[in-house]
Amino acid sequence: MHPPLSLIWFFLTAGTSIGLFTFTYFMEFLTLWGKNTALPKHMVVFSSLLSLVLIGLGAVGASFHLGHKLRAWKAIRRFRTSWLSREAVFSGAYGLSLLIFLALRYYDVTGFLYHAVGILTFLLGWLGAFSTAMIYASNKFVLEWNTSLTVLYFLDMYLMLGSSAFLAMTYHYDPRWVGTYVFLTFLFVTLGLFFRLAFNIRQAFLKRPTLNEALNLPHNRPIRVLDTGTTTTNYCTEEFYYRKGKELLPITIPIAYILTFVVPIFLLLYVWISGKNQYAFYAVTFASLLVGSLLERWSFFVEGNHVQNLFYGLYPEEGYKLRKGFMEWKKTKITYR
Amino acid sequence: MAQFALVIDLNTCVGCHACATNCKEWNTQASFGPLSDFDPYGREPEGVWYNRIMTYEMGEFPNTQVFHLPKSCLHCQDAPCVPVCPTGASYKREQDGIVLVNYDDCIGCKLCSWSCPYGCREFDEADKVMKKCTLCIDRIYDESLPPEQRKPACVLTCPARARFFGDIEDPNSEAYRMIKERNGFVLFPDMGTNPANHYLPRTETKIHIDEHLLRADNPLFLEVVRRHHVGL
Ligand code: SF4
Ligand code: SF4
Ligand code: SF4
Repeated sequence: MHPPLSLIWFFLTAGTSIGLFTFTYFMEFLTLWGKNTALPKHMVVFSSLLSLVLIGLGAVGASFHLGHKLRAWKAIRRFRTSWLSREAVFSGAYGLSLLIFLALRYYDVTGFLYHAVGILTFLLGWLGAFSTAMIYASNKFVLEWNTSLTVLYFLDMYLMLGSSAFLAMTYHYDPRWVGTYVFLTFLFVTLGLFFRLAFNIRQAFLKRPTLNEALNLPHNRPIRVLDTGTTTTNYCTEEFYYRKGKELLPITIPIAYILTFVVPIFLLLYVWISGKNQYAFYAVTFASLLVGSLLERWSFFVEGNHVQNLFYGLYPEEGYKLRKGFMEWKKTKITYR
Repeated sequence: MAQFALVIDLNTCVGCHACATNCKEWNTQASFGPLSDFDPYGREPEGVWYNRIMTYEMGEFPNTQVFHLPKSCLHCQDAPCVPVCPTGASYKREQDGIVLVNYDDCIGCKLCSWSCPYGCREFDEADKVMKKCTLCIDRIYDESLPPEQRKPACVLTCPARARFFGDIEDPNSEAYRMIKERNGFVLFPDMGTNPANHYLPRTETKIHIDEHLLRADNPLFLEVVRRHHVGL
């Protein structure tokens, strides 16, 4: 699949926003249980404001994926059937709820209402995240994505982004919690590494359909694509198959692994073992996660193979034989008796 | 419930692209047009087509067969492209099962095309909306046309008479009869989409060529001899 940059942008901004808010509110929530975890007011306000700006930027960025941005509001209409519609509704409601939460904290309304809105914002944020993940996971025609791993992994990446951002922030405002967040970030990143590995290993064992199945023809007869009925690439070949991306995958996936998992895990372990508690480590952890996730999402899209590529001879088992302006010629020998 | 559809005979389709061309011609000027073209006179002309003809070769040499597969929206009975549409712009009509896109509601999110296993939707970069075969709904219900003309443009134009149109739920329709009599099949049955468009399979034909046809002045025969001698 061709990776849409606007959707990758939304992943990074919404992920950091929802993840960051989760931990910001989580600390507030614990106070309800008599725990002494209240954060300084300006930290809560700053963190919520950052979350709000990020989700706003995410929504603006994601709208570049649409042909008609001004009609985007219509996306709320099919809430009952469409995950994209649910994503739009939940993400919009999350932004609104976040704004109210921020106002309540700013004006020191920290009673029942504050926590009710906090919990609501938390729920809306994660429902939005779940809906986004389901857009990919529910697509039966991209086998690489069509698994619960896609959802688990997606949500875990939001936690990775959120906890590492929170880690850097708490270092400044309330260093009491640095140790906890070093551990949590480490935990989520390690989990993420396992999910990503599982995702990649699964691809090797996928039972993929063949052109024979697509054409509903006998399985024992070899079929080749001779002509795709189009002189150049078209919408379908461009959107669902990205040759340059496929060629780059062997480079981008290892780099994504290194930046998303290896560097953060190494840095956090180093902090843990050496006791060198410095801001730079946390800032680099977050930055590395951010850039790594960008590459990881890019690879995720390119790794996806849509079954409709079968008709064009561009599906993995076909070996990506068909190239632009290139047709395989078979030498034919005519024997004459 | 009625379900209108196309039935395409793979036996007789010669891959002339007339259906695709006439589809583009009709739909560019009619209610669902235009179908944009990009760089039409350049090296890589590209454009929106509702119908594309693929050509496949089956079997191992020398026992191979080439066949052509015209593919437009199959108006699936359980169309997966419909429920994913966030605005409801993509919909399936109750009365005749035709799947359509309301261009005024389409926000161009492309999710329907991601959810079509056949690659039968195309995004129009000029209009920024998703487009697809309408089963020529603007022809088949047009009472100003003579009854025999109330058929999809591609069906009317096919010089090989490889295309049939009708209600596949109605035993009196040509489409229904063709599917029953000639063992019509659908593409990708495992995808659970239950496509309405059917294809009629190729039947094996044996051709007996009399010897006198292999006479020396047959130009094709000469060609074979010549190629043989130069060792091709
Ligand atoms: S017009 Fe008829 S013969 Fe020609 S490609 Fe279309 S279906 Fe086949
Ligand atoms: S062929 Fe594709 S676009 Fe047409 S109804 Fe089926 S899923 Fe939808
Ligand atoms: S039915 Fe009409 S819109 Fe569909 S392929 Fe035929 S000519 Fe094109």
